[in-house]
Amino acid sequence: VRSASRLLLLAATGLLMAFVLAPLVVAVLGSFLDVRRIGLSTDLWAGGGALVDFSAFAYLAAHYLDWLEFSLVLATASVLISLVAAVPGAWVLARGSFPGSTILEDLVLLPLSLPGIAMSMALLSAWGELRGPWLVLGGHVVYTIPFMVRVVLSSLRSEDFERLEQAAASLGAGFFQRLRWVVLPGLRHAITVGALLVFAVSFGEFNVSFLLNRGHPQTFPAVLYDTYTNQSIQVSSAATTIFLAVVIPVSLVVQGLGGAKALDGGQAA
Amino acid sequence: VAIATWPRRRTAGEHAATLLMASPLVAVVAALVVYPLGHLLKESLAGEHGLTLASYVALLATPRYRRAFVTSLWLSLLVSAASTALCLGPAWLLARHRLRFERVVRAVLSLPMSFAGMVVGFLLVVLLGRSGFLPQVLERLTGAPWLSGTSYQLAGVLLAYLYFEIPRATLTLEASLRRLDPRLERAASSLGASRAQAFLWVVFPAIRPALLATFAVTFAVSIGSFGVLLVLSPRHLTVLPLEIFTRFVAPPTDRAAAAAMSFVLLALALLAGVLVRRLSRAAEPSGA
Repeated sequence: VRSASRLLLLAATGLLMAFVLAPLVVAVLGSFLDVRRIGLSTDLWAGGGALVDFSAFAYLAAHYLDWLEFSLVLATASVLISLVAAVPGAWVLARGSFPGSTILEDLVLLPLSLPGIAMSMALLSAWGELRGPWLVLGGHVVYTIPFMVRVVLSSLRSEDFERLEQAAASLGAGFFQRLRWVVLPGLRHAITVGALLVFAVSFGEFNVSFLLNRGHPQTFPAVLYDTYTNQSIQVSSAATTIFLAVVIPVSLVVQGLGGAKALDGGQAA
Repeated sequence: VAIATWPRRRTAGEHAATLLMASPLVAVVAALVVYPLGHLLKESLAGEHGLTLASYVALLATPRYRRAFVTSLWLSLLVSAASTALCLGPAWLLARHRLRFERVVRAVLSLPMSFAGMVVGFLLVVLLGRSGFLPQVLERLTGAPWLSGTSYQLAGVLLAYLYFEIPRATLTLEASLRRLDPRLERAASSLGASRAQAFLWVVFPAIRPALLATFAVTFAVSIGSFGVLLVLSPRHLTVLPLEIFTRFVAPPTDRAAAAAMSFVLLALALLAGVLVRRLSRAAEPSGA
C-alpha cells in the first residue's frame, strides 16, 4: 500500500513538472530549431527550413539590445537603492525599538500583497506627471525593497546573530565597531541573496513597467509583450528564451543559496 | 564580571546614526507607498462637493463592473482551490518522502515563481494555442487538431493561472507539512487506523490551517493577476485588473472608477493577506 501511494504521488508530481516544463522546452527549441522536427507545422511559426536557424535571435540582436540594456540598468539601479535603503533600514527594524517600528515594517512589506495594477494606479495618481522611466524605477523600488528587507531581517533576527552582537558588545566593541566588524560581515550571505532577488524581480517585472512608462525607453518585458502581439511565434519564442536565460539562472542560484522561500509572496503574476 | 544589559542605553550619537540609517527606508515608504495609496483613496472619494462614495456606488450600479468583480472572485476561488488540491501531492512528497531528485523536483516546480504573468500567457499559447504544440501533435496522431485554441478559452485561462500558482502553493504547503509531526500518523496506525482513516482524522485536521493559508496565498495572487489575461484576452471574460486597465487607458476613461476598483482589489488582496498571517500563526505549533 505504501509503495502504491508513493507511486501515485510521484505520478501527480511528474504530471505537474511536465506541465511546467513542456511549454518552456517548446518555446526554447522553437526559437532556433526547424519546428517540424518537434512535431509542429510551420504556418504560424515561420522559420526557414534549415534544421538550426538563429535568424530570430539575429533579429533580436539588431532591434532589442537597447531594451535589454534599459532593463539591466533598471535592475542594477534597484539593487543599489535596496542596498542603501533596505539594508540599514532592516537593521534598525531588527534592533531599534522606536515607536512605530512594527508599523514601518508592515508598510515596507505591504507591496508584496498588493496587486501590481492597483499599486501602479496609486503611483500614477500621486506622481502622474513623472510618468516615464523615473516612475518605472520608483515602481521597481516599491516591489524590490521588500525582498531585500525580508531576507536581511530574517538573518538579523536569528538567535546566533543577536548573540554575536551581544558578545561583541560585552567585549567592549562600540556601536560603530559592531556595525562595521560584526553586522556587515555577518550579513554578506543575506545581502547576496537579497541583491540577486532584487535583480531578478526587477528584470522580470512587467505590470509596473508597462503601466508607469510612456514612450521610450521600454523595459524588456514590456517589449516582450509588444512582441507577443506583433511578431511571429518564432521571434516571440526567441525573445522569451532571452528572458528565461536571465531569470531562471538567477532564481536557481537564489534557491541554491537557501532562499527558495524568499522568492515567495511576489505579486508578479 | 557584570554583563552589560542588552540592548543597553544608546548615546546621542548612536541615536542620530540609527535615525540616519532608517531615513532612506522611511523616505521610500512615505513617498512610494503611503502617499500614493492615500492619494488614490482621495481620488476615489473625490466629488464635486467634498468627499463622496459616488464612484463606489457607481461600481455597484454598473453591470459591467459588477460582472468583472464577480468573475474575478469565482475565477480566483476556483484557481486557489484547484492549485491547493493539486499541489498537496507534490508538497507531501517533498516534505515527507525520501526522494533522490528532491532538489530537481523543487527547482522545476518553483520555476514559474519568477515569470511575469504575460510570459505565462504566452507559454500557454505555445502549448495550447491555435498552432500550439499539443494540438499539432494530436493532429499528427489523430488527423484532427484537438484542443486547438484552448489557451483562449476558459480552460486555458484556468491552466495559465494554475501554472503561476504551482510554486506558490507547493512551497507554502511543503513548509507547513514539514512542521507536522510524523509520529501522529504512526500513532494513529498503531492504534489500528487505516491509512485513509489516519489521513482523514489525524493528518487532515492538523494541516487544515495550512490548506486554508495556501488557499489565501494563491487567492491573493490570482485576484490581482493582470498579465495572463492581457495576452490571452478570452472573449466574455473580464476581471477587475483588466477592467481597471481599460478604464484607465481606453476612452471613455474614468479615473474615479479605476481608482475605486483599485481600492476594492487592494481590500480583497489585503483581506487574503491578513487571513494568511492568522492561519500561518495557527499552523505554527505543528498541530501536535
